[in-house]
Amino acid sequence: MKTVVAAAPCCQPVVARAIALLAATLPLAAFAGTPINKLTAADPTGTVEISNTAGTVTVTGWDRNEVEVTGELGKGTERLDFTKADKITRIKVVLPNRSDVEDTDLIVKVPATSLVSVNTVSADIGVQGVRGTQRLQSVSGELRTESSGEDIECRTVSGDVNIAGSGRKGLVSITTVSGDATATRLAGEVNGSTVSGNLTLGVGETSRSRLRSTSGDLTLQGSLAADARLDIESISGDVRLDLVGKTGADFDVASFSGDIRNCFGPKPVRTDEYAPGKEWRHQEGDGSARVRIKTLSGDVSVCRK
Amino acid sequence: MTQDERTLQGAVARIDSQLRELPREIEPGRDLWSGIAARIDERAAPAPASEPRHSAWFWQAAAAVALVAASSLLTATLLDRDRPAGQAVVTAAPSNQVATSQDAVGMPAAFGPAGTLDPEYLAARKQLTQMLDQRIGTLPPSARAKLEFNLGEMRRAADEINAALAAQPGDPLLEELLLKTYQDELAVLSNVSQLTGSLENAAASPAEKRMQL
Repeated sequence: MKTVVAAAPCCQPVVARAIALLAATLPLAAFAGTPINKLTAADPTGTVEISNTAGTVTVTGWDRNEVEVTGELGKGTERLDFTKADKITRIKVVLPNRSDVEDTDLIVKVPATSLVSVNTVSADIGVQGVRGTQRLQSVSGELRTESSGEDIECRTVSGDVNIAGSGRKGLVSITTVSGDATATRLAGEVNGSTVSGNLTLGVGETSRSRLRSTSGDLTLQGSLAADARLDIESISGDVRLDLVGKTGADFDVASFSGDIRNCFGPKPVRTDEYAPGKEWRHQEGDGSARVRIKTLSGDVSVCRK
Repeated sequence: MTQDERTLQGAVARIDSQLRELPREIEPGRDLWSGIAARIDERAAPAPASEPRHSAWFWQAAAAVALVAASSLLTATLLDRDRPAGQAVVTAAPSNQVATSQDAVGMPAAFGPAGTLDPEYLAARKQLTQMLDQRIGTLPPSARAKLEFNLGEMRRAADEINAALAAQPGDPLLEELLLKTYQDELAVLSNVSQLTGSLENAAASPAEKRMQL
């Protein structure tokens, strides 16, 4: 059965104008960017290095021993370098030395166990399904990735970082200047450092964690391994530690002028009769893990969930 | 292997060779113990009240700062050397050039009212700051402003701690936090230098329209 759609007489001029406009716009759209379609064989444990300035970089792990690049090269871009040497595949957007260049969107598929390294200026980076080590860096782009237990390093100046963990142990390092970072279901070792960004990390179980901030707030929620070492320092940012499950830890918490609030153990004490400092030392359970928190003026909260 | 790596490897091999040639034991030319005992007795005597005393960890931490400074500088320098000659970062030199990182940092390099920082640390910081100054122009203005604000934030933190140390000289918590602040400053300078250094073609990009800082 055929279906015929006819425009009502009242609307025919409008439809005709719309079609004419669409037809006039199509050639422009075709010149807006150059489609990319490249493919090469790759070692499943090789390295894929990607560099893009502005736009997006989306990396997906797949079960083929090939690297495929699709997407669109921004208008005015000089070229896309796609090279392979030994186990390293390099994808690099090369810009001319002028400013009227449009964004480039790269969609890269890599062998799932590849080591992936991505550098951008403002391009957002998204990674999914990659089970190898990841090294993601951007000046102001947003970083969004998944952790499968392999090492992940994320560095930005002002871009935000978002990591979805799998509960498998690994090493995650997050460094920002002003970008915020959020992570869920991490496990193992977590290191976070920021100047004014807020770090909010959910950890299944941590064995080693070190968080540092100047004025950003630090929040860690999770459980401590039996021999865990947790070290948190902040100048004026607040620190919040929410412990999940049974905790056997030795707590050493001190703040020069911030408040200390704890939901278990004795009350914090003044360190000096004439100075504002407070400290809280407490052994919970067998005290096998160690928690150390220091702030200048940031408030500290340690509670159990 | 690059020329730089070959040079570095050669230098390491030479140092190894020189180390192997060193004698395993050296007999002192005279009995040193009497002098050491006298020095121990001197140190056991109470220090004058006017000189702030630092705990043992302080000096260990100070050594750590020097080590961090050296390693930050080495890393940043090596990364800089790895850049092929033809790939020098283009400095954008925008018309509304803001203050350099040197201006933004200007961190008081002192521990409390009477202290001074290790010259090695100061030299490393100066070099890292200069390196960042060369590259900061490659950052989009909004990112640069954000960075400079945050370097200023660290300077303000150090000011605040130094002021507190003036009121409470020798406070171990304050000294520790101040050292960490200096370490963090070096780490930020080093990180941003590396980040900008790894991004050729960054300067003349249309990145501004996407900046969400």
